[in-house]
Amino acid sequence: MAKSRNGTDIQFAIIGSAGDGTIAAGDIMKRAAALMGYKVIAFDIYPPEIRGFGKCISRIRISSQQTYSLKHKSDVLISLNDSHAIAHVGEVRDFGAVLFEDSPIAAIPEGGHISAHIAAAQVPYGFANRRICEEATGKARSRNIVALGYAAGLFDIPAEIFHEIIAQKFAKKPQAVTDDNIRAFDAGFAAGKATFKLDDVRVGMPQQVANGKDAVMMTGNGAVARGFLEAGIDTYFGYPITPATSIMERLAAALPRAGGRFLQTEDEIAAISATLGAGYAGARAATATSGPGLALMTEMMGLGVMAEVPFVVVVSQRGGPSTGLPTKTEQSDLNLAVFGGSGDARRIVLAPTNVEGCYRCAGMAFEIAEKYQTPVIVLIDLYLSNRFETVIPPRENVFAPKPRIKPELPENQPYRRFALTDDGISPRALPGDEGHMHTVTGLEHNELGRPSDALHQQMNAKRHDKLTSATRYPGLTTCKRFGDEGRVKVGILGWGSTFGEILETMYAAQDEGISCAAMKVVMLSPLPEERINEFFDDCDHILVPELNHEGQFANLVSGALGRPVVRLNRTTGAPMMVDEILAEVRRLAQTGIGEGTHSPVQQQGATT
Amino acid sequence: MADPLHHVIIGSGSAGFGAAATLRENDPDCRISMITMDSLPFYNRYDLPRIFRGCTDWHELLAVPPAYYSENRITLRRHNKVVDVDGKTQQIRLAHQEVIHFDSLLVCAGGRAYLPETLIDSAPLMHGFGSYEAAMRLYRDLPENGHAVMIGGDMIGIDLALTLLDTGRRVTLVTNAQTFWPHEPDDELRAQLLQALARRGIEVVQDARPATVTTPEGAERGRVVAFEDGTTMTADVVIPSCGLVPMVEFMLNAGVDIERGLLVTPELGTTHPHIWAAGDVCQIWNDEEKAYKFYHGWKNVRVMGELAARNIKGAHEIFDVKVEDRIEVDDQGNIHSTFWTH
Repeated sequence: MAKSRNGTDIQFAIIGSAGDGTIAAGDIMKRAAALMGYKVIAFDIYPPEIRGFGKCISRIRISSQQTYSLKHKSDVLISLNDSHAIAHVGEVRDFGAVLFEDSPIAAIPEGGHISAHIAAAQVPYGFANRRICEEATGKARSRNIVALGYAAGLFDIPAEIFHEIIAQKFAKKPQAVTDDNIRAFDAGFAAGKATFKLDDVRVGMPQQVANGKDAVMMTGNGAVARGFLEAGIDTYFGYPITPATSIMERLAAALPRAGGRFLQTEDEIAAISATLGAGYAGARAATATSGPGLALMTEMMGLGVMAEVPFVVVVSQRGGPSTGLPTKTEQSDLNLAVFGGSGDARRIVLAPTNVEGCYRCAGMAFEIAEKYQTPVIVLIDLYLSNRFETVIPPRENVFAPKPRIKPELPENQPYRRFALTDDGISPRALPGDEGHMHTVTGLEHNELGRPSDALHQQMNAKRHDKLTSATRYPGLTTCKRFGDEGRVKVGILGWGSTFGEILETMYAAQDEGISCAAMKVVMLSPLPEERINEFFDDCDHILVPELNHEGQFANLVSGALGRPVVRLNRTTGAPMMVDEILAEVRRLAQTGIGEGTHSPVQQQGATT
Repeated sequence: MADPLHHVIIGSGSAGFGAAATLRENDPDCRISMITMDSLPFYNRYDLPRIFRGCTDWHELLAVPPAYYSENRITLRRHNKVVDVDGKTQQIRLAHQEVIHFDSLLVCAGGRAYLPETLIDSAPLMHGFGSYEAAMRLYRDLPENGHAVMIGGDMIGIDLALTLLDTGRRVTLVTNAQTFWPHEPDDELRAQLLQALARRGIEVVQDARPATVTTPEGAERGRVVAFEDGTTMTADVVIPSCGLVPMVEFMLNAGVDIERGLLVTPELGTTHPHIWAAGDVCQIWNDEEKAYKFYHGWKNVRVMGELAARNIKGAHEIFDVKVEDRIEVDDQGNIHSTFWTH
């Protein structure tokens, strides 16, 4: 049955230049909405350049029911800088609102004002942002806050909530800063309140007001850091790289206070080497990087697999290859994460699909790494790293480390660190455990750890097979089906951040009467093949949308299962759009594989 | 390939919209920009009384669907105020500091509501009726059995007043020189017209000069009209309805002749070869009367816009008055005005 979508579901897009306070305004908006009890999904885009250059966009979707991605069309656009916002006017839906400064002080070339680009079906709201700001505060600095206030007044969102968030945001600054911003907000609010509302944007009350105080606004990176901390991370070694850097920044501040160790290393190789060393020593150790960093880390990843050392690597993907598109999102490091490195180096790769998933995967990653004595990669991407969502974390810490049980030493036998066991998991002692002296090396080794090629085939099988049971790891969602039960026309298989758009697509397709289901795959390695196979059995067509050119996940799945999929691939640097997935679902539902019109990008992917 | 000609129209009412549509019909390639201070695409202001009959959704008032503009490549610039037109450089300066070049300019800016000088200070407490937003504010503030005081009573106002009566409101009309504007009935006809209104149920107050409009002391709603003779009258709303004044201030540097409105030839051209005018903003030369005259009314205005557009594209058509200015009372006491013919 289709999921009913009622109540508030509004997306704001705040667009300005670096230095306009665009991201700050978006931050206040999203936090206010979360405090009110709305579900929030938000995503900020900002340039790497310095103040005064480059476009900043903060998109915030607030809803009374759970949503899974940003909408293709925004309901409200707030322009803080027309030169950047003009290109995005088209993303405002019909009868949505465009808010803009109507009294700029500098001369504007013809066509340089946003009012020249607002379609007749969109509703313009010009207001004297600068003048309002100057009259309220004596300065023009808080124009972003005036704009927020105007929007709140226009859409009848309570000012008190914003006051609280503004006070929190500027709490570390002199009181005058908070006072000025609240005055700016109130002046904008009054102007918005006095404006006759012509759009059809309706901001109703959230359905779960009581949850507002419990809800936490987190980015994917913030969720990873929080998950790590709750899991008792001992050490973090990192080297900054977009879009993973904020994980490091958070842990740099929080980890020492929690009794852990943080070190910024000279490069990625040093970071993972130190992480591996700490993991070997028994610490809960992690690092985070992006695709280019993971490329440098592959040698040590291999050593971790060979030496059966648990540690965690978070990989936040961006456009590649090489330096690629540092500030654009992509899902093109799957191959590197799953297969990268020399030899048969199977490892565990978890790909959460939303912010809460980042929190859970990061929280459980150490335990999984320790159980299977192998590196675990948490594979996310820029869209997930920087995306804000409301998360209601469990009241009790469920990721805290359990006491380690030291392996028993067999009588009159040497400690066999790499013993060949039924489940492939060997007794793991830590350096310094009495009587458990052993050798660790990147060379192939025997059960004692001493270099030997005699057991290479058995050891390869051990390292491979020991991970198989991870697909049923208790408490971890390795894959999950959504939507219509039983046989369906179209099944959408997805991973990572794209799954939000996939879920939205599935609901939209159901609303159109298309029998549709979706499955998210969180564990990319080892692949939960049995349940994916069952999903294939139920679907006439399987569609795999993903943000890479080759269809890396499609290759992974169809290669493992030997079954055909239809690919939908995009590498625009932006998230996949619901409309384009939905178009493909419609096509599959109506005409089936190989029929209908494919876009050029789809054609290259065709079917396997 | 040369840039297409840029035709700019100031105003998005009947004249401006008619002109834009005609320009597109006559020139598929030209650029057309309509500049307006309004928030909405073109709707017929004469239809605004429908709001009191339940038509409160602005979508229903639109003359054409919003997609019409994009389909016809007409750039509609709303919330744009023209502050200056430079005839020499053929540039328009907008309040938000943008400068627009034009190859031809058609001014269809219409008029703003006239308010007697004694009431200007009270303007914020009165309810205009010149736009959808203003009409909706009036609708919101005037309950179904409420009382409206209308000052003046031009033909738009009279239409509104009759609608208010029909929908259960009480209306008091305080007459002045602008009553029945743009008609100028003689004393006899004026008396007949006022009697007709009174018979319909409008309370007509003559020879009373409003001095101020205030809010009742201690009350959140309502208005008090104080007259120069010291008497007062309470109401829910006060509606000024005193005709229109052409909006021409921004044309002072344009190099065109202005009297009360923009002076144009019967072909609607101004004294500037690239500037035309149409609608309530212009006075057209009447060769028979040897005078420049205003021609109001929806049909006249629309025809003017279309004609000006054709002339901009090279035609030489003469404005032929579609609807002569006439108001009368029939045997049943109903008022008929050519101004209402639409």
